[in-house]
Parts: sequence; structure tokens; C-alpha cells
Amino acid sequence: MRTGEPRVVIGLFDGVEKAAEAAHALRSLPLPEENVTTISSVPLPDGAVTRDRRPIRFPWIVVVFWLAGALGGLALTLVTYQVYPMITAGKPINTVPPAIIVSFEGGMFAALLATLVLGFRSIGLRPFRRGKKMIFDPRIHEGKIALCARVDPGDQERLAIEAMRAAGGDAVRAEEGEL
Amino acid sequence: MKSENHLSRLDESKLYEELSRSNLPATKQWYAGTGALLLVVLAAVATFVYMMFVGLGVTGLNRPVMWGVMIILFVFWVGLSHSGTLISAILRITRATWRAPVLRGAEAMTALALMVGGLYPLMHLGRNWRFYYILPYPNERQLWPNFRSPLLWDAVAITTYLTGSLLFLYFGMIPDLAIARDRAAGWRKKLYTFLAAGFRGTHEEWRRYHVASTLFAVIIIPVAVSVHSIVSWDFAMAMVPMWHSTIFAPYFVAGAIYSGIAGVIAVMVILRKAFRLEKVLTPDHFDNLGKLLLTFTLVWGYFYFSDYLTAWYSRFPEDWEVIRSYSGHYLPIFSLLVACNFLIPFPLLCLKRVRQSIPAMFAVSLIVNVGMFTERVQIVVPSLARRNDPSIWGTYFPTWVEISFIVGSIAMFALIYVIFSKLFPVVAISDVKEQLFHTTDRTIGGANLSTVVSGEGKEEGRKT
Repeated sequence: MRTGEPRVVIGLFDGVEKAAEAAHALRSLPLPEENVTTISSVPLPDGAVTRDRRPIRFPWIVVVFWLAGALGGLALTLVTYQVYPMITAGKPINTVPPAIIVSFEGGMFAALLATLVLGFRSIGLRPFRRGKKMIFDPRIHEGKIALCARVDPGDQERLAIEAMRAAGGDAVRAEEGEL
Repeated sequence: MKSENHLSRLDESKLYEELSRSNLPATKQWYAGTGALLLVVLAAVATFVYMMFVGLGVTGLNRPVMWGVMIILFVFWVGLSHSGTLISAILRITRATWRAPVLRGAEAMTALALMVGGLYPLMHLGRNWRFYYILPYPNERQLWPNFRSPLLWDAVAITTYLTGSLLFLYFGMIPDLAIARDRAAGWRKKLYTFLAAGFRGTHEEWRRYHVASTLFAVIIIPVAVSVHSIVSWDFAMAMVPMWHSTIFAPYFVAGAIYSGIAGVIAVMVILRKAFRLEKVLTPDHFDNLGKLLLTFTLVWGYFYFSDYLTAWYSRFPEDWEVIRSYSGHYLPIFSLLVACNFLIPFPLLCLKRVRQSIPAMFAVSLIVNVGMFTERVQIVVPSLARRNDPSIWGTYFPTWVEISFIVGSIAMFALIYVIFSKLFPVVAISDVKEQLFHTTDRTIGGANLSTVVSGEGKEEGRKT
């Protein structure tokens, strides 16, 4: 039975082992791996409870920004000397070493900014997901591990709640929101 | 993880309270101390305004010594800023197990020291109100910055490094800001909610966060090296005796890392004492930092010697006159820098007893930074005072104006560090928790050891 928008079942666990047991039970329902995740105050090793198989590609885009920044640096020094020629010994000159230095710093500057923006975007931090209610439980700061599963309302939701409770989950409930 | 990790033995709420003690509401003593620092800074600012109105004549600058305390302070503070981010980035990339309590304090030191250091070239300009002439923008005066000037390279490099250091500091703080957001109230909650940007700690967030922070660390390391290389080129690109040297860039970088490590140690000792972080910042951390400092004592010593070697062999008279002045007029400066940078710290840092003693490490770190300040004096002043033509030889001594800048710079650094530590966690709480989470006890024979696991989980059925 499938009705309505997907919901998130969330349960709190005291340790990694219990959370892993519950995650295994959820996957056996079956729930797709990408629909199950944890929220924790420390990073858990990949595969300890859930596994994230989505590729992380943004570092390659940072390289593109690095190149763009480096080209911007070259343009700033070499091209603008054509616009504002600096006459030295009777003729305008373009000097390469300063262009390399400014190009290097320009590339790095662009790469740093790109890492911040693309890192934010990849993580999915707030500037990129305005207006959505995100699932969260502050009790993770007391050492709990929150196991979350995106489920269809109805049977799947009920089975997921039962699986989490059977594995020793506390405060198991279903909420509306995004994972 | 079947065996019990060290984090599970602790009450995480108490751990948070212990590590975020710096963020407790300000006390009367805090206001008094901060107010005193603010007064010193304001006095230095007033002196600067006086210098702007009256002119650089109120300083000790003269022909031929046209660079003085302001450039010395610039090199010193940029040098001090060098190690914080560098150490933090290297420790993050190598996943050094002892890194966690050191990271935040070191990263903050970099960003804040750079803010202080970056002011001095602007103060040195003379016509400070025309600082925007260094910015490249089309204007009706047809002025365009001369990118052949190393001072322009400074502006570009320091902008990049300051931006990078601030972003690195901020990005490293996001998980801690998320913890603070969930525990704070009032305006602090609003501030932390804004800065934490909705970080929750899902598995996917943590994985991407680690990739991004590693990428930051990889990018910031070459920037850190480039910045102090470029600062050295302010000198090495000039045809001034003892400056025009190809070894100046690595020599400056080595010196900057050396003073920076000493700075990190001093800051760590103060934070440990002020916020009762004895359980987190243990003598073992100071032992490790002491070993790093010892390494760079030797590296700095090697480069300092190498800098003389070529001048010594070539025996160009202009170089030789500068070297001769080190044993004459500038003997006190030369003696002080060699003593503080090598003769005192080297034997002391060889002793484990010293490296594990917090007061001794504090003393050594201060001695090294006195030595490194003196080294900057020796680089700047004698070479200009004994320039190529003996008919223009001169001398230099700072006036009260410049001495107030020295005092003001220390007060300004302390002031912004104190304010930073009141607003933000000065210990990387998430990193400490992660380290504890990865630490378990193990028995090998008769020895009980703490072991730290690292790396990603492997797929079932694959060899680990």
C-alpha cells in the first residue's frame, strides 16, 4: 500500500552495533541503501551503519575554478598591460615572473572560494536547500546515533518502525521532512 | 566496533561543557582584561593617526634606513601566522592522532596574526589614505598597479592567504557551531544557527565535509608557502647587500614555520591555563610540538648559516661590510638572535623533560619569538644602514611612535584572540570527539595501550 508523500522514520540508538543491526533490518525490508542514513555527532566510518555510494565529484570542479582563477591572474597582469602599457626603456613590456605569481595566487584564491561554495553545495548546507524541513534530533549531542529511513507511508513505515524498535531504538517515530 | 571506544566512556554533555568553557558568559575580570587591551590598542591607533597628520618624520626612518619597525612587524606577524594553518593542514591531511586539541587554536592564530600583520604595510605607505592605488581597477587617472613590484605580490598573496585561512578556520568550525547551535540560547543561538548553515551530521554530510576539509588543507599548504616566499621577495628582489639572495625564500619560509610553531605552543599554553584544558592538552601534545620546534631549530640554523655561505665565499665588499657590522654596531642584535634562536632552544628542546614541562615550553616559545623578532630586525636594518655607498651609511633606532606600534600589535592580537575565544569554541570539539571515538584499549603482552583506528570501512568480502 503506497499513499502520500514519503516520510522519514527516525530512531535513536545508544551504540554503533545496535544502529548497525537496525540498519541491516531496514535494508532487509527491503529499503534501498540510499534511503537509510545516520545522524551522529561524530563521523561514523563508511559501512559501519550505512554506506554512502554517491560519488563525490566536486573536487574536479574545483580544479576547473583553479584554472579559471589562474587564467584570470594572467589576464590581470599580461592583458591589462596592453591596455595600460608601462613604458620601460622606450617600449611597453610584459614581464612573465609577476604574471606567474599573480596567476598562481589567482588560481588558489578561486580554488579556495570554489571549495567553500561547492563543498557547501555538495554537503547540502542551508544556502542550497532553503525552505525545507530537515530531519534532526539534538540528542545526538548526548551520544545517541539517530538512524533515519525514508519510507512510503503505510506498511513500509510501520515495518520500519517495528524493525527499529526490535533493534533497541528509542523515541522511534515517523516525521515529515527531508533527509 | 566491538571494543569500547573512549568516547562511549564519557558523558558528551560534560565533555562539551569542558571544551567550550571559553564561551561561558563574560566575567568582570574578562571585561577588565579586554578593556585594558582595548585601551592599549586605542593608544596605538591614536599614535597612528598622529603619524598620519604629522608624517613619517615622527618615526626613526631616515635615509638610508627607509624600512623600520612597521616592515619588521609585518614580516614578524606574517611569519607567526605561517604555522597555524600549515600545521593544522598537515595534521589534518596526515590524520595525526594528536592533532585534535591543537587545530582550532593554531588556525585562529594564523587568521588573527595575519590580520594584524597585514595592517603594517598599509601604515608604512605614508599617504595611507591612498592605499586603494594598489587595487587594479580602470580609473580616469589611467593609473594601473605595477605588478612588477613585490609589494603588489604581497597584496595578492596576503589577500589569498587571509581569505583561505578564514575559510579554513570557518569550515573546520562548522560541526562545532552545529553543536553550539543546539545548546545555546538568545543571540548566540542565532549566530551559531546562521554560521552552522544547517549542518546536522548525516553520514553523507560527514563524508563530504571530510573531502572538502581535506581539499582546503591541500590548497592552503602551497598558499602558505607562497606567502612567505613572496614576503622574502620584498627583500630579495632589491639590489641591497645581503638581501639579493636566491636562498631567501626557503630561509624565510623555514623561519616563519619556526616562529609559527613557537607561537602555537605559546597560545596553547595560555589556552590550557585560561580555560582549564589540562585533560585535553596534555604534556604529550607539548612533547610533539617540541619535537617539531626542535626540527625547525635545526632547519632554521641550517638556512641561517647557508645565507652567509655565499656572501662569505664571494666576498663582495658591500655584503662583507654588512656582515662586519654584525660583529660591530649590531653585535647585540646578532648575539641575541643567535642565542634565542639556536643556542638556548636547541639544547633545551633535546631534553624530553623540557618538552614535557608546560612552563619550560612556554619559556622556550617566548625565547624563540624574541629571537625571530630580532632576526627580522637584523634582516631589515643593517642591510639598509650599510648600503653600497659608505657616504650614505646611517643608523636607525625606533622612536616612541614605532615602539607604540610594537606594543599595540601585541595588544591587538591578544584582544582579537580573546574576543574570538569568547565567541567561538577554541578547541575543535568534533575532532576531539572523533579522536576519542576512534581510540580503544588494546593489550599487547603485558602492556596496555590505546590504539587509534583510521580509514574508511571496506565492503564485506573484500580484503581489508
